[in-house]
Formats: sequence, C-alpha cells, structure tokens
Amino acid sequence: MTLAYPAVGLLYNPATPDVIDHAPDLVEYFSVMPDRLWFDFGPKAATGRRFHRTLGAINQVRRYAEGRVLAAHALGLSLPSAMPLDEAFVEAIASMSADLGGFRWFSEHLSLFITPKGTVPNAQAGLGLPVVYDEEAFAIVSAKLHRLKQALGCPLLLENGSFFTPVPDMEMSEPAFFNRLYAEGYCGVLLDLHNLYVTWRNGGVSPDVYLEELNLDAVEEIHLAGGDDFGGFYMDSHSGAVPAPVWDYAFEYVPRFRRLRALTFEFQETYYERLGPKPIVTELERMHELAAQGSVREVADVD
Amino acid sequence: MLIEFQQALADLTACPELCVRVRQEPSLLRERYELTDREWHRLVGIVQHPGMACACMVYRANRLAPFALNIPETCRALGKQLRAVVSEYWRLYPEGNVHFFVEADRFCHFLKAKLASDRSIDAEVGRVLARDAALIAIALRESQTEA
Repeated sequence: MTLAYPAVGLLYNPATPDVIDHAPDLVEYFSVMPDRLWFDFGPKAATGRRFHRTLGAINQVRRYAEGRVLAAHALGLSLPSAMPLDEAFVEAIASMSADLGGFRWFSEHLSLFITPKGTVPNAQAGLGLPVVYDEEAFAIVSAKLHRLKQALGCPLLLENGSFFTPVPDMEMSEPAFFNRLYAEGYCGVLLDLHNLYVTWRNGGVSPDVYLEELNLDAVEEIHLAGGDDFGGFYMDSHSGAVPAPVWDYAFEYVPRFRRLRALTFEFQETYYERLGPKPIVTELERMHELAAQGSVREVADVD
Repeated sequence: MLIEFQQALADLTACPELCVRVRQEPSLLRERYELTDREWHRLVGIVQHPGMACACMVYRANRLAPFALNIPETCRALGKQLRAVVSEYWRLYPEGNVHFFVEADRFCHFLKAKLASDRSIDAEVGRVLARDAALIAIALRESQTEA
C-alpha cells in the first residue's frame, strides 16, 4: 500500500479509535505519545522498574496503525533543560518503536517541562516554559538531538510552544533557533499553528512575523487545534474546532511547506464526550482539502 | 547559571505569591538564585509581564488535572475549600508527579492526614475520600502490572 505526503491524521488519544471507526479513510496517519502508553514511576521507582507499559493500549495502537503511517510525539524529554538527557526514557521510546514496527518520525517540544533542580526525578514544571534562545541552549538541545537520532534512527522534529511570557533580551529568535537546528541537520520543525495563534492572542509575536523569519523548508509537520478564552487569556485547550485565523494561515502556508509529511489535528479526549466524532470528522475533511494543496508526493509502502 | 534560571522560572510559575514578592522586591531573585545580570533582568521582565498571571493559572490547572480526572467526587465534596487545600498541598509538594495515579494517591494521603487534624473540613469529604482513595490505590497497583 502506498500513501501520499502530506498525510492527514490525529494525535492519538483514547478517543481516537472511535474517530477512526467513524471515518477510517480520513485518518491516514497518527502520532502516539509514548509517555501516555506507559506509567512512569521515575528513576528511583520503589519496585525497581521504572516504565510499566499499558499493553492493552499498545495493542490497540498496533491494530489501528495497520495500513497507516505511525509516528511518535513525546513530552517528557524536556530537551532544553540544563540537565543530562534521560537515557532510560530514550531507550524506552526506542523499544516501543521497535515493538510497533518503527516510528516514521519522532517529535518533541522546544519547551522546558522538567526542572533541573527538582527533587522528584520525573517532576514536571507543570506547563511548557519558554526557552532562552542562545548559544548555551543551542549546544544543549543540539547535543541531545544528536544522541536521540542515534538511538531512534528516524527523522526528528521539534515543536514550537505557546508561551504567555516572552523572554526579554534573547540572542536569537525562536525561528532563528529552529532555522539553525535545521540548517545544521539536527531536526525539522513541527509547526503548531494553533500555538502561534495562542502566543499572538496573548500578546506575543504575530504569526506573520514568525513565519516570515522561519525557513519554510524546515517544516515537516503542522499541528492544528482549537482553544478557549478564559480569564482574559486565550488557552491552548484542544477543546474543539480550529479557529478561522488558524485555517487562514494553514491554507496560505501549506502550499509553501515543500517538505511537509503530515497535518495533525489535536483534541483533548476529555472534551470528546461533549464533541463526539462529527466535528472532528469535519476538521479531518477540511484537512484533506488542505493536504491536496500541499506538495503531494508518494511515500514507500507502509504495511 | 542556566540551571538556576530555569529553576527560578519554574518556581515563579508555580507560585503566584513569589511573583508578587519579586515584583515588589526584584533583588529577592538574587538572594535565592545564582543568576547573571542578564538572567536576572530576563526574570524580572518575565515576572512583570501580564502573561505571567496566565502561566501561573495554567500551572495550577495542570496540577489540578490528576485530581479532577481521578478523584472528582473528592474535589466536588471539598467545594470552596478545594482552592485552599490544593494550595497547601502544592506548597508541601512543589513538584507534581507525571504518573497521575501516584500524584492522586499522594494527595489522598495528604488529605486524609489533614482531615484528622482539621475540623473545619466537612465530614462528608472524609466519606467521599475513603471511596476515591480506595479506587486510586487499586488503579495504582494495576498500573504496576503491564496489563
């Protein structure tokens, strides 16, 4: 079976199988979060074993991945943290990839999730914090990406975050940081268009300015999602339909992303009971219209 | 030092009260963390930005998620007292655990101990907590089995 890039799909969550059952032909690919397919008891696990896989969920992923492109998207490596790469985590991802027939690509976040001086080994900062883009951060992130590529053996992407507080007086902008990572062969970009919109809605840089500076050839995947207004701010809550301005950016820029692999819709499964499959199917249909405007190209067999 | 900068940013995001104190007295950051001048200026700029309130709010929402998802009846039973109780819990445990059952189980133990000493919390909370805590303990045990 052959497929074409850009493939249309979803970030996998427990509600995804139901969406696929309703519209199997609209979901050509999905990306799994390894962090959500195991329980992580931390490096000092009392039982002596850190990762306990959820075998039922993994087998379900295996079934639904048949005939589809499978990628992975993780949260827990926190690559910009000023601390060593979590090698056990990397090995667990590599093992899961091998078990599932190999991830086509792997993505992480260009955000700080883990605090370097935390007393709980796998503690998280609670949300993705902004990164200071300078030479020191570049050295930390690029070295970890190099190791990650060795371990996983597949293309790597990093995702832009949504931030509420810009970091003053940085040596380089986020697009410049991404451009350099791409130019030096470390990774491509997973461009979350909704995150760009969130940052702009909360007083950050405009998506136009950001996209003007970003090397569009670096973009290999885009994320689309919806959010909510809350407390005077706009939240990246993944609560429903993609806002119109985000679609506008997608239709303007997707034809210009020449190396695009995938268009991914993200929704939070806690909203699924209220949403049901219909609005997600509607977004997937529109994403197929969007994909048809991209640089369509065939890819190798996926079975 | 970048390590200190990152920890300070995480600590500020986790603690709106610390943000208020740093806004009033920026030198507090130098007392607590080993920062270069540039890092200190960056943190002062961040903490004074209006978006810092939102970052703090999202932090609290994310830390509340393990409880809202896994012990919702206890959260409901706490009602208006939930805010003060979780704030106290977060001061005691400034770092959340990525394993939601571990985090919820830890909160259940904290709340059980608090109920034993704090008569201001409605007795109904204790009854609901007993049920929720038992379910979380089962879920936690099962999460260790690779089933």
